[in-house]
Amino acid sequence: MNLKVDIKEGNRETVVFLKGEVDVYTAPTLKESLYPLAEQKEKKIVVDLSNINYIDSTGLGIFIGALKATDKSNSTITICGANARVKRLFEITGLDEIIEIVSDQREEV
Amino acid sequence: MEDTKLTMYHLYKEMLNNYLKSKSEHTLYSAQQFSKEMLEKDMSPEEVISLHKSVIQELQQMNNEAVTDFIDSFDILLEVMIGYGLAHREHLSLRDRQRQLESELTVAARMQQSLLPSGKIELNSVDFGVISVPAGKMSGDYYHYFIDEQGHIGAAVADVIGKGVPAAMCMSMIKYAIDSLPEQRLQPAALLENLNRVVARNIDDDMFITMIYGSYDPKAHRFHYSSAGHEPCLFYCAESDTFRELKTKGLVLGVSSKVRYEEYYQDLEPGDFIVLLSDGVTECRIEDEFIDIKQITQLLRKYKHLPAQLMVDQVFSELEKIQDFKLNDDFTLLILRRNV
Amino acid sequence: MQVQTHVDINSEWGIVAARQAGRKLAREIGFGSVDQARITTAISELARNIYLYANKGQIHIEELTDSGRRGIKILAIDDGPGIKDVRRVMEDGFTTSGGLGAGLPGVKRLMDDFKIDSEVNSGTKITVIKWLR
Repeated sequence: MNLKVDIKEGNRETVVFLKGEVDVYTAPTLKESLYPLAEQKEKKIVVDLSNINYIDSTGLGIFIGALKATDKSNSTITICGANARVKRLFEITGLDEIIEIVSDQREEV
Repeated sequence: MEDTKLTMYHLYKEMLNNYLKSKSEHTLYSAQQFSKEMLEKDMSPEEVISLHKSVIQELQQMNNEAVTDFIDSFDILLEVMIGYGLAHREHLSLRDRQRQLESELTVAARMQQSLLPSGKIELNSVDFGVISVPAGKMSGDYYHYFIDEQGHIGAAVADVIGKGVPAAMCMSMIKYAIDSLPEQRLQPAALLENLNRVVARNIDDDMFITMIYGSYDPKAHRFHYSSAGHEPCLFYCAESDTFRELKTKGLVLGVSSKVRYEEYYQDLEPGDFIVLLSDGVTECRIEDEFIDIKQITQLLRKYKHLPAQLMVDQVFSELEKIQDFKLNDDFTLLILRRNV
Repeated sequence: MQVQTHVDINSEWGIVAARQAGRKLAREIGFGSVDQARITTAISELARNIYLYANKGQIHIEELTDSGRRGIKILAIDDGPGIKDVRRVMEDGFTTSGGLGAGLPGVKRLMDDFKIDSEVNSGTKITVIKWLR
């Protein structure tokens, strides 16, 4: 299974569209594109998960790493469009308390 | 013939023709270099021999000095096969090294096993069982239990992100951190808070650990528990013969050093039991479909008449069978049942 | 009188010349065709390493006799960049060969004795010997 990452820079926010699965094999791909964004100063990053059907714990780790980076760079991460299974994962791990999760999804341009 | 094979054929033919004409060292050198290219293209030794044969056959039809040429052509073939001989010997040596690594891993896995508690819990009040099986040799799952003089029991299941050696090394940190907190062994929330501080200091940015910690008071028949982002534990009510997820809130260990954990409790009647599990249990996949919690509870119900240890063993062996004996993730299942 | 040959390596032609000299001597000493090909391949690899990593250097080839045994000794010398971590280049699967068995571990396997002496920024000296059985 593959992961496709599409980054759309907007005026107010940068949207990261993900498609596929985030698992131990594809996590490095996500890390490569998400970390540099998260390290930029005062960015508003939105990760659209509406085309993601599965995230494993390694994938979740990438979100945690990115979140830690945004804390240092004064940026924010929001997650949108997550399906029920993915959302449950964020809830069980308590990450929904520290990462903003919204249910709507971003328009792909 | 495929394109690459065809190209290789033409190159080989040209090289062989050159050699038969000139008998030059230069062509033999090309043959040695060519052998590397054939190896890179995954040509097998038998394909090389058959390539050689077909070129010779073609030459024979045009050339009446076939016999001498036939013998001389083996100079080229020999030069080419030296490369294959080298690759073969390297393969043998790498195989030996792999065996050595395997045996080192076996020793490490044995050491890891010794980190797990080994004493049996034999009490009239409680029936206890646990199983933990790594997907590979080393496990990223950890379980812990202990019992004090009054018969209070502390029990935990933890799951380190990922699996294999890195997860296993992290697991040993958890073990020593718990050992260093003896006063909190019966206070789930306080223990997780302290543990979290240790983990947050010592873990990579994209690593984390989930853990559920519980303590059982056999006099009050009360199970206290707290969760750090772990799969919820299950409660089986004997009277109604039903399972219920015990909902918890709490962040995984290692994300932020200041986290408060909430403590919950569940009272147990005789025959009631608590199930702690790792997400290897709920993330079992059968042909890409996840096993859901219903299938786990069905299995638990099927074997609930057995003592706790046999119960976890049976549930595991059935799940293993359903998954065709391929374990994708480390698997840990722990059961604590009130007897009287 | 023992035969000794020196070949300068500064082009692919030098590599071929070294191979030729090695093969000739190996044949004269009495090595069979498989061993001739092994010795030549070892020379080839040593010479190629000189050419690729040090640009220039020499290959010395000589006959050896030691208490009745006969053999061939090849010495590869360059004053190139040297090898930083000899242990690593001698590890299987490390070199650019990517598991194809070439490189210095391959040379070592083809020959009976292998000695390497390398210093960063001053050069590399490799001596290999094959004995006639």
